[in-house]
Amino acid sequence: MATPGAPLVAPVPLVWRLVTVVEVVDETPHARTLALDVPDWPGHVAGQHLDVRLTAEDGYVAERSYSIASAPEDARVALTVERIDDGEVSPYLAGELVVGDQFEVRGPVGGHFTWRAQDGGPLLLVAGGSGLVPLMAMVRHRAARASGAATELLVSSREREAVLYRDELERLASAEDGLNVVYTLTRSRPAGWSGYARRVDAPMLAEVGPAASASPRVFVCGPTPFVEAVADALVSLGHAAENVHTERFGPTGG
Amino acid sequence: MEEERGAAARDATVLDGNAIAALLGEIFGGSEMTSATRGCGSCGQSHPIGEHRLYRGAGLVLRCPGCGDVALVVVERGGEAVREVQLLGRWQVAVG
Ligand SMILES: Cc1cc2nc3c(=O)[nH]c(=O)nc-3n(C[C@H](O)[C@H](O)[C@H](O)COP(=O)(O)OP(=O)(O)OC[C@H]3O[C@@H](n4cnc5c(N)ncnc54)[C@H](O)[C@@H]3O)c2cc1C
Ligand SMILES: [Zn+2]
Repeated sequence: MATPGAPLVAPVPLVWRLVTVVEVVDETPHARTLALDVPDWPGHVAGQHLDVRLTAEDGYVAERSYSIASAPEDARVALTVERIDDGEVSPYLAGELVVGDQFEVRGPVGGHFTWRAQDGGPLLLVAGGSGLVPLMAMVRHRAARASGAATELLVSSREREAVLYRDELERLASAEDGLNVVYTLTRSRPAGWSGYARRVDAPMLAEVGPAASASPRVFVCGPTPFVEAVADALVSLGHAAENVHTERFGPTGG
Repeated sequence: MEEERGAAARDATVLDGNAIAALLGEIFGGSEMTSATRGCGSCGQSHPIGEHRLYRGAGLVLRCPGCGDVALVVVERGGEAVREVQLLGRWQVAVG
C-alpha cells in the first residue's frame, strides 16, 4: 500500500483538448478502437482514463469517461468503446464517427486504478466486457517494459466474438514471459472451447490464482454488477481489501 | 444502513470514486485524489477515494464502501456557475 496521501501521479492541469481521430479499428461487432492525435499529450499511467465531451450543434453537451487502452510507451493514445445501442455517446464513438472527426477530452486522470512496471507483481487482472480496456493498457505496459511480473489475466465475455484484443492477447501470452490469459464465456460455449463457460466465481478465481497468500495486486474492472460479484468472491478467498483495486463502468456491457 | 448497502450493491448504475477523478482534481486544486484515503467518522475504516461508491442523481454523492456513510456531496447550481461541495470524514490530501 502507498503512503496515505503520497502523490502517485503528478497533478495535471485539467484543460479540455480538442483531439482528432486518426484511425478506427473494429475490434468486435460492437466495439471499436479509436487512435487519437492529442495536442500536448502529457503522457499517462496504465489504468488512467479520459473524460470525453461531445457538443452537439445546438449546444447540448454529453460527457463520459473512457479508459486509455494504449500503453504509455505506445506512439498513439487509443480508446476502445463498446456500443450501447440505446446510449447517448457510445453509438457515436463506436459507430457514426469517422477518421478526421474531432471531440474534446480532458485528462488523463486517476491514480488509484493504475499500475506501473516498478510497482511489480504478482498481478491478478479480472476483466468483464469492456472492463478489459484499462487492464489491456497495463498488460501492454508490462510487455513494453519487459516487466516479467507474474500476471494472471482473467477475461469474462458474453461470447468468443465479443472478446477484445483476442489476437494481441494470444501473441502476448505466447511469449511465455509470465503472462497467462484465461477466458470465460457467459452466454455460449463454442465447440472445442477449452476455457471456462460461466460467470466468474470464487472457485474460478482460486483456480486461476495467484492465491491470497501470495498477496497479488488485484485489479477488477467491468460492469458494476460484475465488479461487485468479483470483489465479494476475492474477499471470500482471503484477499486483503487494500490489495483489491476496483473500477466500475456502470450497467453497460458484460 | 444495512438495507441501504444491500440496495446499493444491487444497483448497476453505481460507480466509484475513480469516475470523478477529474472533478475531484478541480475541487482539490489539481491533486490526484482517487488514491488519497478517507478515514470514515462513522465506521472508522480507511479506504481510498477510488473505492468509495458514487451515486449520480440531481447531484453527486460519494459513500464509504464500509458503511455507506456520506463522504462527499457535490451539487451544481445555475449551470456550472456555482458548485456546492460538502465533505465528511478525514481526507488525507497530498501536499507538494
Ligand atoms: C472510469 C470509467 C471508465 C470507462 N471506460 C470505458 C471504456 O474504456 N470503454 C467503454 O466502452 N466504456 C467505458 N466506460 C463506460 C462509459 O463511460 C459509458 O457509460 C458508456 O459508453 C455508455 O455511455 P452511453 O452514453 O452510450 O450510454 P448512456 O446514454 O449513458 O446510457 C444509456 C441507457 O442505457 C442504460 N444501460 C446501458 N447499458 C445497460 C445495460 N447493459 N443494461 C441495462 N441498462 C443499460 C443506461 O443506464 C442508460 O439508461 C467507462 C466508465 C467509467 C466510469
Ligand atoms: Zn464508513
